[in-house]
Amino acid sequence: MSPETQSLLQVTGLVKRFGGFRALDGLQLHLNAGEILGLVGPNGSGKTTCINVISGLYAPDGGAIRLDDKSIGGLPSHRLVHAGINRTFQVPKPFLTMTVLQNVEVSIAYGGHAGEGLDPRHLLTLLELESHAERPAAELNSVQQKLLDLARALATKPRILLVDELAAGLNPAELEKIAAKLKEFARSGMAILVVEHLMGFIAQVTDRIVVMNAGKEIFEGVLNDAIRNPRVVEVFLGQDDAA
Amino acid sequence: MLTYTLLAGLLFGLYFTLIGLGLNLVFGVMRIVNLAHGDFLMLGAFLAFWLFSLFAINPIPTIPVAFIVFLLVGFPLYYLIVPRLLRAKDPEMLSFILFFGLSQVIQALATILWGTSERSIPGGQLGRAVAAILSFVTGRTVENGPVDIFGQSFPAAWVASGIASGIGVLLVYWYLYRTKLGYLTRAVMVSRDEAIASGIDVDRISAIAFGFGLGLAAVAGVFAPFLLGSITPAMGAEVTITSFAVIVIGSLGNPLGTLLGGLVYGISYMFMQSYYSSWANLLPYLLLIAVLLLRPSGLLGRQTRRA
Amino acid sequence: MHKLGRDVFLILVPVVAAFALLPSVYSNQLLLFNFIIFIVLAQGVNVIYGFTGYLPFGYVGFFGAGAYGFSLMVLHLQAPPFLAIVVGASAALVLALMLTPLFRLSGAYFSIANLAAALAVLQIVANPNLEDYTRGPYGISLSGVFNPRLAYAAALAVLAATLFIVIFLRHSKFGLALQAIREDTISAGMAGINVVRERVIAWLLSALIAGLAGSVFAWYASVFYPETVFSGEFTIFAIVFALFGGTATVVGPILGVVILYGIYNAVGISTPQYFQLIYGALIVGLVLFLPNGLVSLVRRWGIDVP
Repeated sequence: MSPETQSLLQVTGLVKRFGGFRALDGLQLHLNAGEILGLVGPNGSGKTTCINVISGLYAPDGGAIRLDDKSIGGLPSHRLVHAGINRTFQVPKPFLTMTVLQNVEVSIAYGGHAGEGLDPRHLLTLLELESHAERPAAELNSVQQKLLDLARALATKPRILLVDELAAGLNPAELEKIAAKLKEFARSGMAILVVEHLMGFIAQVTDRIVVMNAGKEIFEGVLNDAIRNPRVVEVFLGQDDAA
Repeated sequence: MLTYTLLAGLLFGLYFTLIGLGLNLVFGVMRIVNLAHGDFLMLGAFLAFWLFSLFAINPIPTIPVAFIVFLLVGFPLYYLIVPRLLRAKDPEMLSFILFFGLSQVIQALATILWGTSERSIPGGQLGRAVAAILSFVTGRTVENGPVDIFGQSFPAAWVASGIASGIGVLLVYWYLYRTKLGYLTRAVMVSRDEAIASGIDVDRISAIAFGFGLGLAAVAGVFAPFLLGSITPAMGAEVTITSFAVIVIGSLGNPLGTLLGGLVYGISYMFMQSYYSSWANLLPYLLLIAVLLLRPSGLLGRQTRRA
Repeated sequence: MHKLGRDVFLILVPVVAAFALLPSVYSNQLLLFNFIIFIVLAQGVNVIYGFTGYLPFGYVGFFGAGAYGFSLMVLHLQAPPFLAIVVGASAALVLALMLTPLFRLSGAYFSIANLAAALAVLQIVANPNLEDYTRGPYGISLSGVFNPRLAYAAALAVLAATLFIVIFLRHSKFGLALQAIREDTISAGMAGINVVRERVIAWLLSALIAGLAGSVFAWYASVFYPETVFSGEFTIFAIVFALFGGTATVVGPILGVVILYGIYNAVGISTPQYFQLIYGALIVGLVLFLPNGLVSLVRRWGIDVP
């Protein structure tokens, strides 16, 4: 990739404070179209906060987020959705009182021009939820609710998809299928950021990873290099093992 | 006129503090807005009225009686209603509606039992007790009648309620910050979930706090016939709104905040009465809205974490 | 969308027709008129609470604004009633717009602030200093336009419009969006919903409904005090009827009004405190055992209630 190519999403010096606590402390990363970037790090390093800020749940306290070289930091979520960003939640947040189909229909109806005319049942079939279409979302098990979250995010035809700890609770067969689907989305041009604890899934799916600690990135590159990096090892396993 | 307005505002404000104390405690511990707060105050007022009318008991000894009676009512009432409520999907709104229903039930029962006519207790009753206390404290014989403060004359009842309110604030503060039970209560106030995880019997603590809240409302009720004029079964609604304004102005959860809120409210109210009396009725509502919109965490500022 | 047509045919038409025909067989037209008003108000509460989860404890403020908007047009400008109704409804909309900052507040705070706002409006309207404009505490008297037959017809029109709005909400994507907002504003945002804007639209619709009801009420009654049209009883009844029947549906509030307001007229007028006891106890029971109202009982048997 030549240096002149613009990244689709550029995050520079991102800061987010909660009271006195700096959850994000000058985070720097970029995401290109068609690639899957893994975001890993110990608990509390700021991975979910990063997604929360990029997707508009919080406004940044400092730094910049640029999409297509336009600043988007601080915009409300619905504007970001219309600009082509969407996400899944660590603990799924479907609309429990609506049916599975209605959950997706709402996103199609309000997700902006990109998703107009999408067939909700097609999306459900893609994620093997079509048999549950008329059931209330509350009746789904947690894995199905995660997939519903994903369907809802896809229904707005995002150019950037932020995935927050999708792998937890999925069995190896399901992980295989999801990994394949994510790679397919990436091949069609979607940029995907995967926050994950499960290193196996990261290995399966990502092209490149960023390791975070205490609100900043401490490594950026491929997974194989990361595990050999002493700082990364120290952050995950403690000082003795780094030596 | 200015001195009078200021001092009257302070005294009146202290009474509003007393009214708000119970509501603040309940909200701080359970995040529940007790819409029936004013109605429990009304019950305390009627308790004082009936004890006086039927048994000629002076309101002062009625105070501890009212407190204990409603503490004992509140404790089981909590267990009856609240644990179930907190398990629901939207406990804040549901409890709001439930206590609204409770408020209507209390009002209806009171109207059925006692009718809608206004009742009152002669102000002299409180005056005698105040005079006795002041005589005891100052060593001089104090006459029953209006009390002189800085050259301004106030009904003894206002002074008595001011003293009671001050004692109330100190007691709540002492309870919360100097007793073990209060320490645990503050833990629950900060985070109910973490308190449960720490093994604290959150329900018992909340039930006690709830009982205290009702007891304090009843105590404020004992003074109501003197401070608010006459009492009727329907008086609760206005009192609830006022007390809500007081606790919101002063920041939720902290009894000192309620003190500040009460004083701000009382002084503002007196100033409106003195200088713009025809618009004075607007004050509680505008103050409430202004505080909620401009400084929702109140004057003392510490915002309770919602996430 | 065929569900919308079905509900218009099965619910809106029969209800409006019933109230249109009943005066010819039942002489107490005032009672029928009051039923209409409460169905409209309960549906108005339904729009804002059932669909967005905000409980308007000061709902009567819009009713009173409509009543006074209507009355002041007639009093000061001798306006024809239908124009006055439009102005009354607009007054309610203006008040609603002024109150939109309240949405920054959560649940219970919003309700209390809304109540305070309605009480403030009453204090302003009833203030003797404004007697020249609003007749202050002495009340309104509109002898010139008194016409119960025409006013009743207007009420029927308002009823039809209100029911149509609710049926529309029930079956449209907009209604779905409101439901999403009610359930989870963060998730709704990620579905692309402009939470603030949609919520304000629902709020304005709800206020419009109450404003129309207030205008029509002012026309029908033609004589009233400020406390009458700003009475907390309107809010309380509307909320209780809507909650009892079940919100977020079309039939719930209608059911609630027919049953409870029916009981009120049978039992409660002479002994209002007994009615207060009944609905107070009902609310407590409702919250503890049946928080979604009567229609949720029917839903439990698998029937999808419109």
